[in-house]
Amino acid sequence: MNDKAIKDIVIIGGGSAGWLAAGIIAAEHNNPKHDVHFINVTLIESPNISSIGVGEGTWPSMRTTLKKIGISETAFIKDCDVSLKQGTLFAGWKNGSDVYTHPFTVPYGYAEHNLVNEWQESSSHIPFAEAVCSQNTLMLRNQAPKNITTPEYSFNLNYGYHLDAGKFAEKLNTHCTEILGVIHKRAEVININSHENGDLKSLQLDSGEIIQGDLFIDCSGSRSLLLGKHYGIPFSSKQKYLFNDSAIASQVPYSSDDDPIASSTLSTAQSSGWIWDIGLPSRRGIGHVFSSSYTDATLAETELRHHIKNLVGEEVAEQVSTRKIEFSPGHREKFWHKNCVAIGMAAGFVEPLEASALVLVELSANMIAEQLPQNRKIMDIVSKRFNEKFLYRWDTIIEFLKLHYILTERDNSEYWRDNVSRESIPASLQEKMDLWKWQGPYHKDTLHIDEMFPSASYQYILYGMGFKTNPGNFRLSNQETSAVALDLFDENAMRTKQLVSSMPTNRDFIAKVHQYGLQKI
Amino acid sequence: MNNYVVLNYRDHGALKVITKRSKSLGDDVMHVMTFPHEFRDVQSCYPIYFKKDPETGSFYPIALFGLEEGQNLFLDDQDMWDATYIPLMSRRHPFLIAMQSSGDKSDDKKPVISIDMGNPRVNEIEGELLFKDDGQPSTYTKQIMKILKSIHLGNQSNSDFISEILELDLLELFTLEVTLSDGSKHALSGFYTIKETTLNNLNKDQLASLQKKGYLLPIYMAVASHARMRSLVDKKDKRVG
Repeated sequence: MNDKAIKDIVIIGGGSAGWLAAGIIAAEHNNPKHDVHFINVTLIESPNISSIGVGEGTWPSMRTTLKKIGISETAFIKDCDVSLKQGTLFAGWKNGSDVYTHPFTVPYGYAEHNLVNEWQESSSHIPFAEAVCSQNTLMLRNQAPKNITTPEYSFNLNYGYHLDAGKFAEKLNTHCTEILGVIHKRAEVININSHENGDLKSLQLDSGEIIQGDLFIDCSGSRSLLLGKHYGIPFSSKQKYLFNDSAIASQVPYSSDDDPIASSTLSTAQSSGWIWDIGLPSRRGIGHVFSSSYTDATLAETELRHHIKNLVGEEVAEQVSTRKIEFSPGHREKFWHKNCVAIGMAAGFVEPLEASALVLVELSANMIAEQLPQNRKIMDIVSKRFNEKFLYRWDTIIEFLKLHYILTERDNSEYWRDNVSRESIPASLQEKMDLWKWQGPYHKDTLHIDEMFPSASYQYILYGMGFKTNPGNFRLSNQETSAVALDLFDENAMRTKQLVSSMPTNRDFIAKVHQYGLQKI
Repeated sequence: MNNYVVLNYRDHGALKVITKRSKSLGDDVMHVMTFPHEFRDVQSCYPIYFKKDPETGSFYPIALFGLEEGQNLFLDDQDMWDATYIPLMSRRHPFLIAMQSSGDKSDDKKPVISIDMGNPRVNEIEGELLFKDDGQPSTYTKQIMKILKSIHLGNQSNSDFISEILELDLLELFTLEVTLSDGSKHALSGFYTIKETTLNNLNKDQLASLQKKGYLLPIYMAVASHARMRSLVDKKDKRVG
C-alpha cells in the first residue's frame, strides 16, 4: 500500500478554502484541455452549514492563483462583485487622527536602494509611503491600479481584490466542477473510517455513499472535523499577543450610485479593536473586530453604528442588520497529520488585519499541489516540511499583525495600553524591534526566500507609525543610495502625477469591465 | 470642436467641402482605423497593425501613416497625399454616419449622413458642392454615401473579425524599433500584430472556418502589409536627410 500512487484527494468543506484548494490542486495535476485526469478530487459540502462568508480581501497572489486555475478575470470581476484592492489604509492607529497606508507595491527603486535613511533625513515631512510609492496617492484618491486597456491580470500598479466570499465560492464551485473535473457531493459526513496505522481510509456520507481517499483535506472551518475533532491535534491560542476574538459584521449600502469605491481596505482603530471597511461595487462590508476581554458586544455594536452613521448617515446606521462572529485567535499545533491536512479556519484563524486568511489558503494549497507526495511512503517527509513551513508562517503573521499595535501612542484605553506591554509582545518580535532601531528591514533582513510579508511591508508599517531607525555607520550601499535618493523621490513624484492623471477611479474601472470586459492580451 | 448635424438640403444647400489633403485640414494623423474588406487596398501602401480603443480596451485594425503622433509621412509639403490608395476613414471627413430614430417605432434606428459643421473643410466658397440645384445629392455626395456605407459595414465586420482572431490567439503585442540613417531611434509601442507562429499552426478546421467567414485573406493581407514598413521608414529617412 505504501507505494500506491496518491490519486484520490478528498476535501471536506465548501467555503472559499475548500473550493480554492480543489481548484489549485486539480489545475496542477489535471489538464482538461488534453483530457488528462491524473488525480480525482472530490469535495464534500455539508448542505446544512453555510459558509461563514468573511475573508473578502485578497493579496496580489490571488491574480496568479485565478490565472492558474483558468478563470477569466473579467468573469471573476463580474460574477463575484469584485473591486480592486491596492493595499490597506490605517486610520487612527497611532494617535486617533493619523492616516498611513500599506501599499502592495514596494518602494520605488527598492531592488537597488533602501530609501529609509534618506527619507528620514531629507523628506520626512512627506509620509513615508507617499515619498517612496505612487500607490499611496492612488489609494487615497480611490483610483484603480490599471485601466481598461491593461490586459487581464496585468497591472500598472500591483493589486489584489475585494470580493463577495459567497459568490466567490460559487464561482469556484462552477469552474472546478465544470472545467476541472472536481466531483461535488452535497452530504453530511456521518462516519470516519481509518486504516490500522491511523490513516484516514474513507468517509461515510448520510447519502449512504462511502468516499475513499489517499489524502484528505480538512476545510471544514472552525469545526476542524478531521484534524481537530477526529485526530485531536491541540489548538495553540495566540490571544496573549492578539487580543481580538470577536467581530460584528454588517453590509452597508452606498449613499449614492456614484459614491467612490475605495481601492484599499480601510482599517480604523477603535477603543478596543478596529473597524474594517471593504468597498465592493454593490455595497460596503463593514465590521468591528474587538476583544471580548476589553469590551462587550453591545458597546462594540454602538461604536460600529456610530462609525457607519458618520459614513452614510443616521438612518442607514440604525437600520443596518449585524451578525456576530466569535473566534479563537491561534492555530493548530500542526496542520498535516498522517494523511490529513487542514487548510483555512480548520488550521487556524486570526483577526483579518492584513487579509491573511485567503492567502494562507492559497499558499497551503499551492504547496500541497506542488509537493503532492507520489505515494504514502514519502508523505511523512512532505508533511513534516509542510508543518515546519506553516508554523513559521503563522509566527510571522502573528508578529506582523502585532507590529501594527506596538508603536501606538493611544493610551486612553486598557486595550491599547495592554497592547504595548512587554508580555503581550512575542520575544521574537521584540528582538526584531531592538535590531530595527539600528538597522531597518531590507532584503537580507528576512530568513526565508518565500516570506509571507516582504521586508517592504515592515517598512510601510514601521515608518508609517513613526518608527525611527538610526542612520548607522558608513556603508558603500548607503553612499550610493544617497547620491541618487533625491532623484528617486523626484521620479516617484513624477510617476505619481502621471498615474493620477491617467488612471480611472475604481468605480469607473469596474463599470467599464462590466460593459466591455478586459482583453486577455 | 466637432459639431455634427444631420445633412439636409434646406440647411446645407450652399455648402462646399474642400477635398484636397492637408495638415491644416486635419490629415496629419499617425494612423486611422481600417476594415478587413479594404485590407487588400490598404496593404498596397501602408502597414496594417492593431490598436486598443482607450475608452473600451477593444481592438481595431489601423493603417499606419507615421512613426509618431501627429505625423503622416504620406502627406508632402505640397499637400499631396503620396499614395495610390487612401483609406476610407481618411476620405470620410467631414462626414460620418449617425443613427437616427425612424419615428414611429422608437427602437428602430436607421443610418443617416451627418456633417461636422466645425470641420475646416466645410465652407461656402471653395470645393465640391453637396447638392445639385434641384436638391438632389451631387456626384461628390453620392461618392461620400458609398464611402460611409462601406465604413458602416466595415464597423460591423471589425468586431466579429477581431473576436475571431482573438479567439484563435492570433494577436500579439509588439514593439517596433526603427533606426534611421542618422542613428536616431523610434520605438512604436501599444501596437499589436498577427501572431504568425499561431497562424502557421492553425489546423484544417480552423483554417476552413476562417476561409468561410472571409477572414483568411485579410489576415494574410495584414501579414503582407508589414513589408510596407520599409517604405515608411524610407520616407522618414528622406525627411531627416
